[in-house]
Amino acid sequence: MNSNPHNPSVPVAVSGTISSSAEQTLRLIASLPAPAGLEDRVHAALGTAARSGRILAWPQSDWMRTAAAAAIVFVVAGGGWGIYTHVQHGQPAKVIVMPHAMQPDGFSGAGAKRTPQTLPGPTVILPVKPTPAQHKAKKKPAASLAPSPAASAPAASAATLTAQPDASK
Amino acid sequence: MKIPTSAVNDESRRRAEDAALAALVDQYAGALYRVAFSVLRNAADAEDAVQEAFLRVLRHRDTLEEVRDHRVWLIRIVWNIVLDRKRRAKTRPETDDVDELARVLPSAGLTAEQLAAAAQHHAHVLSHVDQLPAKERQVLMLSAFEELSSVEIASVLGITESSVRSRLFRARNLMAGLLNHERSLR
Repeated sequence: MNSNPHNPSVPVAVSGTISSSAEQTLRLIASLPAPAGLEDRVHAALGTAARSGRILAWPQSDWMRTAAAAAIVFVVAGGGWGIYTHVQHGQPAKVIVMPHAMQPDGFSGAGAKRTPQTLPGPTVILPVKPTPAQHKAKKKPAASLAPSPAASAPAASAATLTAQPDASK
Repeated sequence: MKIPTSAVNDESRRRAEDAALAALVDQYAGALYRVAFSVLRNAADAEDAVQEAFLRVLRHRDTLEEVRDHRVWLIRIVWNIVLDRKRRAKTRPETDDVDELARVLPSAGLTAEQLAAAAQHHAHVLSHVDQLPAKERQVLMLSAFEELSSVEIASVLGITESSVRSRLFRARNLMAGLLNHERSLR
């Protein structure tokens, strides 16, 4: 069967006829004459553009080219120097604190930090307020200086020993 | 007063470039206009596109000597311009193809009714052409220019000649399918 491989419903003969009518339209449009005076208008536009463009054209003489090149270099270098001087060096870099990575089991520490137990630090000595018992003791200095009965007992026993030297005899 | 030799050379070279550009305008402005009109379908826009194409050539006239085929080179320039304009014009309301075609179609030996009917028919066909995919549509439109061979179409579009042939084949089939579908609906 003589059918169109891309569109089986359209036989080749029919599709050729139909598409040729479409191409006829395209050919007709493609063969339309250009409007009269088109070339003159284009020439005029080119003349205007060329005259206006020559103002900014690269200069012809050598010294002007050198001066223009020097001016361009000066502007570029000056701009670069201006930027360099305005940038402040030595600023600390901003530190971005990254969030804690999630552990593989799905739980996170929620940003908690382990704080180690601190060792006993230096103690501060504060003046101790005297208690009432200490007040009483300060009021009787003689009593405190007098020997206690237990303390005087050795002296008495020594006197006894000296009084009876011949007891062994 | 002593005139530097380089200045004389530059001036003579510039004159030669201007003359070459003027010759290109005289020779190819009509062809470029037809290419532009086939895409834009508006006489004023097509003229603007031709002017813009030659202004681009003016800016790059130093490279004119390096171009091998001026005709294909110019068609390629205007083709890119009109495609760009067409893309930008999508945001604007489209011009009425029927009125524009009735204005520019050759009317010799036709009554006003016949001319209007012909314009309507062509506008109808062109609306179907617009429904084709861009690649196929471009090849089909350029193939309508008898002055362009398939090698030159390939050069304008930047593709291979075999791609041109396969796209043209697809475009014809798609076009036939569209028109046939419409006939079956009637």
